[in-house]
Amino acid sequence: MENSKLSTVEQREAFFLALYKKAFPGFARYVARMGGSLEEAQDIFQDTLVIYYEKVASARAEIIVNEKAYLLGIAKRLWLQHYKATSKNEPLNDFDMVVVPDEQPATGKLLHYLETAGKKCMELLKAYYYDHLPVGDVATLFGYSGTHSVTVAKYKCLEKVRETVKQKSLNYADFIE
Amino acid sequence: MNNIKVIDDYLLGNIDPGDKLLFDANMLLNNDLKDDISHQQKTYAIIRQYGRQKIKCEIIAVQQLLNNAPQHRGFVQRIANLFKKQ
Repeated sequence: MENSKLSTVEQREAFFLALYKKAFPGFARYVARMGGSLEEAQDIFQDTLVIYYEKVASARAEIIVNEKAYLLGIAKRLWLQHYKATSKNEPLNDFDMVVVPDEQPATGKLLHYLETAGKKCMELLKAYYYDHLPVGDVATLFGYSGTHSVTVAKYKCLEKVRETVKQKSLNYADFIE
Repeated sequence: MNNIKVIDDYLLGNIDPGDKLLFDANMLLNNDLKDDISHQQKTYAIIRQYGRQKIKCEIIAVQQLLNNAPQHRGFVQRIANLFKKQ
């Protein structure tokens, strides 16, 4: 999957919709057989799609041959983690799968601040560092005249957010790696 | 733009081996640089969390679209039936 095909909200909507159609029925059947609820299946499948999106958007994305099998693999592992944690209160460290974590309170406060005070910058930085979009796409999406001006804007935003992080003096332990 | 770009290149691995060596040496001698690197790492972590929140919201919106749009009613009903048989 080329990242340029996932540049806009509309493209990502079509991407996620296709993944739901392709893999959710199989996963829902599995959860139902295991005694879980529809809500649990939906919650876990949402986290599965976040993990899958990060995988395909990654700067070093590998080619995934069987998308459906890959999604089911992630979803089943997340389900087993969830099942163990909720049924026996066992720790979550049995699997090496990266779970999409809940935010920590300190990070949540800072995120909230940045969402309101610096939303445009956060959106620009997300496009670069999280979505890994091609620089030309980022320029078009954010209305810059070219790659040079959007790159300068990126560094200015990075500096602004770094300064905010510095001022808030958060410890690295407050952040989820 | 002070050291933002050079730290960005360093942390993302976009730096020549020779420049990396020089940067590592600077880091040992310069506590301010070390602090800036630490804050920049935190900044990337914040951006990742922001990205995750946003993408999760988009996924939830797709889930709601599936649940509510008439053209997906058959699909949603088939899924719901799996759980009624329990």
